[in-house]
Amino acid sequence: MDPAAARYAIRIKGQLGATVLSAFPAMVPRWRGADTVLTGRLDRSALFGVLAEVDALGLDLLEVRQLAPRRTSHESHNNRSP
Amino acid sequence: MRLDSANPGLVDRVDLLAALDRASASKVAIISAPAGSGKTSLLRAWADRSGQARRLAVVQVQRDRPDAQTFWRALHAAVRQVSGGTGGTQPSAATPDFNAQAMVDRVLSALADARVDIVLVIDDLHELSPEALGQLTGLLTNLPPHVHAVLATRRDLPLGLHRLRLAGGLSEIRAADLRFTERETRELLDAAGITLSEAGAALLHERTEGWAAGLRLAAIALADHGDPERFVVEFSGSNRTVAEYLIAEMLERQPAEVQRLLLRTSLLDRVNGELADLLTGRPGSERILLGLEDANAFVVSLDAERTWFRYHHLFADLLRLELRRTVPEELPGLHRQAAEWFMQQGRLVDAIWHTQAAGDWPAAARLLADHSFSLTLDGQAPTIQALLRAFPPAADHPELALVRAGGELVQGRLDEAAAHVAVAQAYLKAAPPDRRRRLRVGIASVKLSLARRRGHLAGVVEQATFLASPVTGQSNEDIALDSELRAVALMNLGIVEAWSLRLDDGERHLQEGADLARTIGRPYLEVGCLAQLGFASKLRSFAIAQRRCHEAIALAERHGWGTEWMIAPALVTLAETMTWMGGFDDGERWRQRAAQALQDDTGPGIRLLLHVVTGMLHAGRGHLREALDEFSAAEGLQSQLMGRHALTSLVTGWTVATQARLGRLGEARALLAAVEGECANWGEVRNARAVICLATGDPAGAHGALKDVVDGTAPVIHDFTVVEANLLGALAHRELGDPRSANRCTERALALAEPERLVLPFAITGSGELLEALPRHDTAHAALLVDILDVLHGSPLTARDEAVAPPTEELTASELRVLRYLPTNLSRPEIASQLSVSVNTVNTHVRNIYAKLQARDRSSAVQRARDLRLLSAGPTRPRTVT
Repeated sequence: MDPAAARYAIRIKGQLGATVLSAFPAMVPRWRGADTVLTGRLDRSALFGVLAEVDALGLDLLEVRQLAPRRTSHESHNNRSP
Repeated sequence: MRLDSANPGLVDRVDLLAALDRASASKVAIISAPAGSGKTSLLRAWADRSGQARRLAVVQVQRDRPDAQTFWRALHAAVRQVSGGTGGTQPSAATPDFNAQAMVDRVLSALADARVDIVLVIDDLHELSPEALGQLTGLLTNLPPHVHAVLATRRDLPLGLHRLRLAGGLSEIRAADLRFTERETRELLDAAGITLSEAGAALLHERTEGWAAGLRLAAIALADHGDPERFVVEFSGSNRTVAEYLIAEMLERQPAEVQRLLLRTSLLDRVNGELADLLTGRPGSERILLGLEDANAFVVSLDAERTWFRYHHLFADLLRLELRRTVPEELPGLHRQAAEWFMQQGRLVDAIWHTQAAGDWPAAARLLADHSFSLTLDGQAPTIQALLRAFPPAADHPELALVRAGGELVQGRLDEAAAHVAVAQAYLKAAPPDRRRRLRVGIASVKLSLARRRGHLAGVVEQATFLASPVTGQSNEDIALDSELRAVALMNLGIVEAWSLRLDDGERHLQEGADLARTIGRPYLEVGCLAQLGFASKLRSFAIAQRRCHEAIALAERHGWGTEWMIAPALVTLAETMTWMGGFDDGERWRQRAAQALQDDTGPGIRLLLHVVTGMLHAGRGHLREALDEFSAAEGLQSQLMGRHALTSLVTGWTVATQARLGRLGEARALLAAVEGECANWGEVRNARAVICLATGDPAGAHGALKDVVDGTAPVIHDFTVVEANLLGALAHRELGDPRSANRCTERALALAEPERLVLPFAITGSGELLEALPRHDTAHAALLVDILDVLHGSPLTARDEAVAPPTEELTASELRVLRYLPTNLSRPEIASQLSVSVNTVNTHVRNIYAKLQARDRSSAVQRARDLRLLSAGPTRPRTVT
């Protein structure tokens, strides 16, 4: 039960358009093939808020993954998790 | 007229309906599937289908009203409707003191009394608050045999039905079951009049994966489409999500005015033609809404007249996102227009919500501050809390302090409430002049309630001075607000006066409060005033008090508030007066009902009273140890009340006397020595001193303590104290070997006891031998004397007029079922478990049985039932007990 914020990648089936993406203002979207990956820094309640929105909009949730701290793949984030 | 069957796109999903038929044979069936899976459509089709042998009580949990009270009132109303309103359960009006357990029992009792098979259908269960969900579990695990439930939810919920599941009483329909098959997809297209090749239909089915919302959106987008095959191919080639793609397609194909209406009204939870005209800025909206519903386009009407509509949640959510994305600058204006319209309609909650959504935080704070009092009286305390939470911390407004104070008061957190009032008061000087009057009245009202709860008379009188000035509102709204505040102020003032033994003032103010409450249509306040009026008139006359208590309870029951907090004063007063008169069984019954009404807290005053009455019952039955526990608990609560009150001397006196009778003389003397000032002179304390003297073999000392009480110079609460003093005096005379004086005192006690038939003092003082010794030809009160001896020998007072009269009202089927257990030696909890109902339900039935048979207790009820031949299973249909 880590109350601190962490970076998450949330994969959703289909390419989300501008309308649906406007429901996730705190997340950075990226299309990956036929899917959309939303990435953002979330604490627990924010994470469940995003998941509730996914549920409310009838989206197909494929994967929720916590990204390892300080790992920089394509993005370059310097903020360290405590 | 609704012609559901003519709706395009609603196909008869025979297999699915059959699956729900099978599932609904279980005690509880749950349809658990994500948004847009077609849960609501399935329920509607299932419910509307002809040939349903069972009656359906349908409730949809409202998205903006997840609180327990709204839900339970809706469910109760639905159950009453299908059960034909039998079983004496009244419709339940909203109340600021919602008692969920009582409501669950009321619903169970209405279900138990129904003579038809019932299915409870609850849609959108995921919107319900966790609190209400827990209460629902209580209902579902206690359903009578002829009642089933079907629940629909977007996600699995912690319902706690494991035992039911293990017993095979739970069945589920899940997303996979709800998917359209290829055949059903073709049927849906056919029903919508869309021509599409086999391959095209297969492609559409594959792309939507049989998702109901997707197929229905596609059917709307495809209607009158020039080239449906191309549409399907393009849709299939797109990687966009199904809902977003199809909503965009569907919107694009609608005429401009329909698009405009759908987008602009999506920010409403419910919409009607007038409101839609306002938000779109053009007429004709109602026609469009009716057309959309007829086209099955995610719009459903909410009333039989088809004036109010709502959108499917998923559809509304997507439209709202689109509106926010495309015309963000128009949003505040639209919310403002909606707020104004709702305000004109008197729909405060909607008005405040839209004012918040428009970002007009100070205006929203003022609205909430002005109306939180009315909303609280309407039972909307949870909604007020939700509106409070919606204010961003940076937008906190000082006027909200008053709203917060009211919330804490409802929860009984007096110190927290006082702290918020202080904030509001500090703001008063800085407030704009036109706000000051309202604020001042609001602050006075909260302070008044605070002072009353603390029993602080001076504070109440000070805050209630505004009552002296006439109603001087500028607007009708001001006058209405003033009237509500005045009614509450009169009630609080009257309560505190009654507790301070200023009985005439108290009765007058409570009567005025009740009259005003009736005039302004606030039955909750009227019941509150009348219940307190019953309490306040007790010392004047038991008969008047009992009549007023019964009136208050009858009015409360008409509104479905039979066990609510605010009638507790009437219930306790009935318990107390019955106990004084020796009707211990009746007293115990009323006491139990009062304890039930006081489950949630309530303030020290009324709890103190309940302890006193419980102690009196124990003392009357000779259970001194239990009585002492109750009196001590009452004594402990006195410290939470400011200053002396009506019962101070009585509580202390009885605690001391009971300690002395139990031989705990040290404690008794210590408590007596701690009595301060004026209180020591009161008759109740002097009597206690006499009891200590008698317990230590000092009858002369007892006479000394009692002298001023017997000759009427010491202040007393009521004649019952003088009766007690005479009996203690008689005991002292007997100790001193003077039977003639003892008889004289006993006869005087009887004379004083006669008008109100005060039996309890004889029981408490152990005066049986005194009465036995009294020569019958010497007393003018032989009948009372015999009654008292009956009570002292443990036989309850029997009614005089219960001979062979028929029951006042026919017993219901479930009352008869309970009645047949009464001759057994099963306790009420055991009966409850035999019948698979709650103890409260059994209590309710037993209460009704007693009332209808005019019986006073179990044995007299059994006797009456035997006489009336009600005990053998009669013509009513026997039900198997599982």
